[in-house]
Amino acid sequence: MIVVLLIAHALLAVALLGAITHQTIGVWTPAKQPADSFVARMRSVSPSTYAGAIVVLYIATATLGAIIYPSYRLNVRIVLEQMQLAKANGSFELKEHFVALGLGMLPAYWYFWRQPPADYARTRAVLTALLAFIVWWGFIVGHVLNNIRGFEA
Amino acid sequence: MTSRRFFAVFSIAFAAAYAVLYVIAIEYNLALFTYHPASGEFHWLVVPAADQPAMYWYGWMATSALGALAFAALAASLPAAWTARIWPGWSWAVPLAVMVVFGYILRGYFIR
Repeated sequence: MIVVLLIAHALLAVALLGAITHQTIGVWTPAKQPADSFVARMRSVSPSTYAGAIVVLYIATATLGAIIYPSYRLNVRIVLEQMQLAKANGSFELKEHFVALGLGMLPAYWYFWRQPPADYARTRAVLTALLAFIVWWGFIVGHVLNNIRGFEA
Repeated sequence: MTSRRFFAVFSIAFAAAYAVLYVIAIEYNLALFTYHPASGEFHWLVVPAADQPAMYWYGWMATSALGALAFAALAASLPAAWTARIWPGWSWAVPLAVMVVFGYILRGYFIR
């Protein structure tokens, strides 16, 4: 059951990663000309259309992560400590705190993305970039730790 | 006070207060509840276990969320004249600062 939840957690994280990356690129480097390349199409997305989905995906991914966290605490963290993998352990500690801080930012993120485009542009852009950093950090750390420990039969 | 102004102040105050309360909750271990994963038991407040790990993360978030909720509701209820010039950047500047603080608190994992 934990393996199923872990895979679902990872799949939700992939969707969240894609959405927030598109939004961040769209809000920081918007395309000024018609999109005619892969990169230009990424830059020309409408960032505001992602906000609702990102809030839902963030909460769903964090909730699934919280559900499988006890298994990590019992089966993975202890092994990391025994293997003296302090950097891996510390990276996960940062991940849990960053994700928690991201949850606290979601109401503001949601509110500012619902405002007219001309208002709060800088606040929206920075909130989005900060959430993108948290999501990327969480994704990479989770992926690396899973590679270290692997699945149990 | 319009609902738009209320939620603007509320969301800014919540993001800032939650981040500050979260780092305080961790530094002073102010968990609203504790979870013992090996036995699957929840306990109110901080209850260490002798024979298994104790998880406080959920409790720290609950403490921070409740505190931030109260603070943000209070801030949003203040007269509009008091909150009209609140800087929206507090919603990201305070969490960003707290992220840096966590990097400092956890530096021992990376530099030993």
